[in-house]
Amino acid sequence: MSRLTILLWQVAIALGLAVVWEWGYSLHDRLPWLVPELLDPYFVSKPSAIYDQFLHASCLVDKRGIWNDWGNGQFSKCMARSENNLWVATLITLKNTLAGFAVGTTSGFVLGLALGRSDRLTAIFQPFIVAANSIPRIALAPIIILAFGLGDASKIVTAWLVVVFLVFFNTFEGARSVDRDHISAARLLGASEWQITRTVIVPSTMAWLFASLTPAISFALIGVILGEFIGAQQGIGRMIIEAEARGEAAGMMVAVFVLMIVGVILATIVRRVQNHLLRWRPQSAANL
Amino acid sequence: MTIRIETRDLGKTFAVDGRDMRAVDGVSLAIREGEFVALLGPSGCGKSTILNMIATLLPNSSGEILVDGQPIDRRRPSRNVGYVFQRDTLFPWRTVQANIGYALELAGVAADERRERTQTALAQAGLQGFGHYYPTSLSGGMRQRAALMRTLIVQPQILLMDEPFGALDTHTKLEMHRVLLNIWEREKQTVLFVTHDLGEALTLSDRIILLSARPGRIKEEFTVDFPRPRDAVTLRETPAYAALFSRIWHSLGEEFVKGAQA
Ligand SMILES: Nc1ncnc2c1ncn2[C@@H]1O[C@H](COP(=O)(O)OP(=O)(O)OP(=O)(O)O)[C@@H](O)[C@H]1O
Ligand SMILES: [Mg+2]
Repeated sequence: MSRLTILLWQVAIALGLAVVWEWGYSLHDRLPWLVPELLDPYFVSKPSAIYDQFLHASCLVDKRGIWNDWGNGQFSKCMARSENNLWVATLITLKNTLAGFAVGTTSGFVLGLALGRSDRLTAIFQPFIVAANSIPRIALAPIIILAFGLGDASKIVTAWLVVVFLVFFNTFEGARSVDRDHISAARLLGASEWQITRTVIVPSTMAWLFASLTPAISFALIGVILGEFIGAQQGIGRMIIEAEARGEAAGMMVAVFVLMIVGVILATIVRRVQNHLLRWRPQSAANL
Repeated sequence: MTIRIETRDLGKTFAVDGRDMRAVDGVSLAIREGEFVALLGPSGCGKSTILNMIATLLPNSSGEILVDGQPIDRRRPSRNVGYVFQRDTLFPWRTVQANIGYALELAGVAADERRERTQTALAQAGLQGFGHYYPTSLSGGMRQRAALMRTLIVQPQILLMDEPFGALDTHTKLEMHRVLLNIWEREKQTVLFVTHDLGEALTLSDRIILLSARPGRIKEEFTVDFPRPRDAVTLRETPAYAALFSRIWHSLGEEFVKGAQA
């Protein structure tokens, strides 16, 4: 299939879904057996309403639906009215996701490296890690909110919690499977223990770390949203909960779409960086 | 002449499935300065084991190993000894030139000098223009040349080589012999070269030490006195080569049969 055909199919499917979503429910009274109850705009809203809601939530238009002017301060006045408007919420969620991701991958990597290279540490800590890993992380979120409050810290900790194990296990595997001949080669070429760690063990373990980064960034986003659901003053998760309380399906959908976009952008960036850093891999493996 | 590598009654026992397995037994050899010695024997006879013990990669079970008259120290491998692996052990995450310059980097050689010496080494190995490539995008022969230069760049006076060209096709192998002989004619390192390829041993070495099938013991020694400098291809067409080949071949063949039965 040519790229154009594929693209045409994709556009057609997207349009079809949008049409059903927008007008499907109006057939409900006549054809109740065909149109599921779930299409009720009360639950899922509809594309036009979502678009409207987006314009309002992002302060691009005013209450009457007229475009806000940047120059005369209408936009900033609108922004100031809500401490959790769409822009601020997105920024906060993004910031906490990146922070949780950074802290989670760093600590997961360091732990994985330390335990992966030390049989003694592994023997001591193994039961604790197995036990901790078997707790569904979500169950801890309320405790974290209680301990770290409604601000950013609790979201970062939640994200850290879901990311750290993922990265830890990958790094641990990687650190165990460092090629022994690479280590021998380095030693015979005059490397000290520390130089072996820095120039052989870390770079070859990095390949395993990178493999976990794409899932890790998605996990971090999930962690932050979860934290915001349970207790937050700001963030996209908070927006969703507020919209739900008001029964505003469109408001929830706007937030969901923003999350989708944020998720796609983050995953793309991470994959790009990963492919660049792993360019020494045989092509097929790096492009997975 | 000075002896640079010496083993006395060297032995190695591995524990396999709780039972002791004698891999190397009573190997005493002495290699003089500037001598190129081939360690020849069937697969599994303990060639790598002997080499690895000399290189401090493996502890010996019995006997002694002396390098330059000193017992080797497993914690501090001598800077005078270079090792080339049977397997490809280039670091895949480093470019070819970063691999070759690795030992210089460890020694803290300044970037300028490092670049210069790396370029010289690349040229010597016929790898000009490939410095920025990653090992995975090179052919097996190119990778092995790069691995050779990675070891040679710090100019070790003693070289331990474990079937470095074992994985290459015949043509590439002869090409590598030429490269290695060129370097060796100039630098006259003391070389212990492990192989199970009789032709390779005859082409390169001054002396062949023939090992028996497992447990590896020294079975026989042969002096290879073909004139130098040698040409890897034309040497094979001389009658002297053919004569020595068939003499050793017979002795080696017996060990291959034993090895297959063991
Ligand atoms: N770490 C080990 N543990 C147990 N047995 C080993 C170990 N290393 C080698 N051996 C055994 O010792 C014997 C000699 O092995 P070695 O690798 O030295 O053979 P080799 O002569 O180098 O063979 P090849 O030509 O195939 O490389 C073999 O039977 C091998 O199975
Ligand atoms: Mg071997």
